Amino acid sequence: MSNESLEVLERAIDSEDGFVELRYHDKVSRSVGVEKGRVERTQYRRRSGVGVRVLDAGGWGFASTSDLEVTAVKRAIDAARAAARAGAGSRREKTAELAKVELARGEFEIDGFDEIMDRPLEEKIDVASRLEQMTRGSSSSVQTASCGYNEIIEQKSIVTTDGAAASFRLARPELRIQAVAERDGRLSTGSESIGATGGWDCLFRGGSGDVFAEKAARTATDLLSAPLPEGGRATVILAPSIVGLLVHEAIGHTVEADFVQAGSVAAGKIGTQVASELVTLCDSGRSEFHDGAGGSIPVDDEGVIAGNTTIIENGRLVSYLHNRESAARFGVMPTGNARAWEYSDQPLIRMRNTYLVPGTTTLEEMIATTDDGYLLDGPRNGQADATGEFMFGVQEARRIRNGKLAELVRGVTITGIAFEVMQTVDAVSDSFHWDLGSGYCGKGQPAKVDAGGPYIRCRALLGGEQ
Amino acid sequence: MDGGRLLDLCNDVLTRARRAGADEAEAVAGWRRGVDTRIENGDIHTVETSEETVIGLRVMISGSVGFTTANGLESSTLDACVEEAVGQARITPPDANTGLPPACETTAIERLHDPRIAAIDVTSTTAMATRMIERIRERDARVRIDSGGVSAGESTVALATTTGNSHHEAGTSCGGHLFGMAVDGDEVASFDYDGESTRDFDRIDAALEEMTDRFANKCLSGLGSGSGQSFNGSVVLSPEAVAEFLLPNLIGAICSDAVRKGRSPLAGRVGESIAVPGFTLIDDGTIPGGIASSAFDREGVPTRRMTLIDSGVLTTYLYNHYEAQFAGDGQFSTGHASGSASSLPGIGPNALEVAAGTTPAAELAAGSDPVVWVGRFSGSTNGVTGDFSGVVKNGFLIGNGERRPIRETMIAGNLFEALRNIEAISAERRLLGGSALLPSMRIGGISVTAG
Repeated sequence: MSNESLEVLERAIDSEDGFVELRYHDKVSRSVGVEKGRVERTQYRRRSGVGVRVLDAGGWGFASTSDLEVTAVKRAIDAARAAARAGAGSRREKTAELAKVELARGEFEIDGFDEIMDRPLEEKIDVASRLEQMTRGSSSSVQTASCGYNEIIEQKSIVTTDGAAASFRLARPELRIQAVAERDGRLSTGSESIGATGGWDCLFRGGSGDVFAEKAARTATDLLSAPLPEGGRATVILAPSIVGLLVHEAIGHTVEADFVQAGSVAAGKIGTQVASELVTLCDSGRSEFHDGAGGSIPVDDEGVIAGNTTIIENGRLVSYLHNRESAARFGVMPTGNARAWEYSDQPLIRMRNTYLVPGTTTLEEMIATTDDGYLLDGPRNGQADATGEFMFGVQEARRIRNGKLAELVRGVTITGIAFEVMQTVDAVSDSFHWDLGSGYCGKGQPAKVDAGGPYIRCRALLGGEQ
Repeated sequence: MDGGRLLDLCNDVLTRARRAGADEAEAVAGWRRGVDTRIENGDIHTVETSEETVIGLRVMISGSVGFTTANGLESSTLDACVEEAVGQARITPPDANTGLPPACETTAIERLHDPRIAAIDVTSTTAMATRMIERIRERDARVRIDSGGVSAGESTVALATTTGNSHHEAGTSCGGHLFGMAVDGDEVASFDYDGESTRDFDRIDAALEEMTDRFANKCLSGLGSGSGQSFNGSVVLSPEAVAEFLLPNLIGAICSDAVRKGRSPLAGRVGESIAVPGFTLIDDGTIPGGIASSAFDREGVPTRRMTLIDSGVLTTYLYNHYEAQFAGDGQFSTGHASGSASSLPGIGPNALEVAAGTTPAAELAAGSDPVVWVGRFSGSTNGVTGDFSGVVKNGFLIGNGERRPIRETMIAGNLFEALRNIEAISAERRLLGGSALLPSMRIGGISVTAG
């Protein structure tokens, strides 16, 4: 389909004046859900069409069509051009130009597309059913369990009047397992989730599904007897999953150039020390260190090749994340961060795979040199603010006393001002994990992202009992 | 698109599904045409027009289910939908409770569609968005709009089933939203958001002005925030916090699928007191002109007005057809099948309403003990256990005659215990997003931790 769609787009854009961007996007989502022994759902969703952006008279217009005929795409171009002109007059700051960059041409592919497409639905249902059953049978305390398998299969073609003509395809499988345990009327949950860009070998690169089933059941059971923590400021060692959430939510969003322009806490801070010297933070379209990071893209939705951007280098803020418009405004090169969720969505500045670069300490050394603190792993959710203030729920929080791991506590939430917390980082481990591959980022429209890094030690505020 | 044409499309798909071997089938089609003007960084950014038709097909073969959805109307696309759904149904395990609701009579709800809103074009949405930007600029230059917009649209939904349901309904709406924060020198206040949507053409300008003013007030109130105070005591939830934090988790526990799956702490509690006597929760999908109103739910069952919690007593769970069949004892769907043509039916409320209390909102935080006023709650709640913990946003510490904005303040507790610790409910209520009518509430026994 890629060659055919590319041809249609090239014919439709031929002879257009000014800047026109056409993006064909065919997205198939398949979902299997099993809970408490019942296949709750199998569903298949296909949404495809062409998204059209036109820059005319200094204003942007957008239109879309689900019809991949040249005449239909041309009608959408006309609609987008009329919309651009309707809005341009009310725009105070017109967009004069986009950043010049060598745009992608040709076909790109991330491994795994054919393998996921060819794997029969029966096998996907069997895996979800078996893992749900295994989770439920892991402990007599587990009263219910669920397992969900999802996959997103995408084909895109991007053509612009200034030279982009690229196609790519990729697959993103995900697996989620949850156990609910009960004892004496008290309930607790344990969840595990994984996601990748690639095939099943990538999805299960951290272990077989059995490992995650057992871990979800064990967590739910262990948390039944865990007390709530005492609230207050504490020394915390964050696992890669929490580090990933922290760098994505609390720092990554503040360095998205559209948000910087609106006045985020990172505005005007390029060149300044914003974190401990141990902190180097990047956002990459590629899967660094290990294959399969869930937010990988070869080319962004403006046709810019998605490379690796260093945001913070040894504690110093060195770059924001850009699309072509913001890059022109800031006088820098675009970073390949323009992304749209579906064909009818406009590309926005979004993260891809965001990570902290590993250091030299081991996790064991970090624990042994912590007198009083917590080891936090498994994010439940997370939000962050314009101020860099963040909040994350934590699934597993284990006390550290006198350099040794101690009891488990439940219901932990951590908060802090991200850049202040990053100033307190005094140890960064030498290990690395992508650990947010099943995650979705929300910014008006979803985006598949990944995040991760090493273990880090810092200070943050824990919510708990008073 | 005309509802009759959309219904024809559904019936065409049903015929194809029958021909392919489906015992029963349900086709849902949704059409929407809209215009949208997007604001970015305090300026008009992109102007958009859109139109799309989506078809969803659920088939049943010997008690097994398959579901597909697609956005193309070509014959080949419809055949592919049918083939995929039937293929799924041939390999998924059967379930004795699988089925579709019998044919239902529905009553049209008034004032859902207004041709004047359907006629709104991009010039009009751009003018409305420009007025919002100017209103913020005139009000206070410290308020920064990160993003926002104004949109208007017309939609039609149609549903046909092999059990005889055949319905269609058209609607229009117009609304706007703003997201941003206040910036004063080096100080950046917390994000805030407001949004409004209406089906009433004559209310559009006023609704957008009120929304813009609320947004500006919320942003500005976050400036000058300082440390809070740690204590165990009372918090006041704003209507927004009730809508975003308290109700979703409570409703999750009232949904019958959560009960069946062992995920609800309210399982087996119908007829029991679960909240203070002053707490009454109502759901109503039949309000004329209501944003969340519809004559029928995702499965074609009529919506209705229902009291879910009456003076603290849980009166019912929410059911779709499957869950009602599973529950047995003559239980019928309560008209709470949620979702669209793009998804399998789930379970959810239509438009929630909490009965007004007797305490004036201004007196909720009266007294000498410290109280934290929660504008928004940014945190996590475990829907199974009810444990919650998170950060107070747009928050204030109130006590000893003082009211000051706070930051880095966390609250923790248990949702289901909180229902029993409601100390007061405001007499005033606000309609949020055109669909939820909610008061403010003071709740005791909450752990407050300040940074």
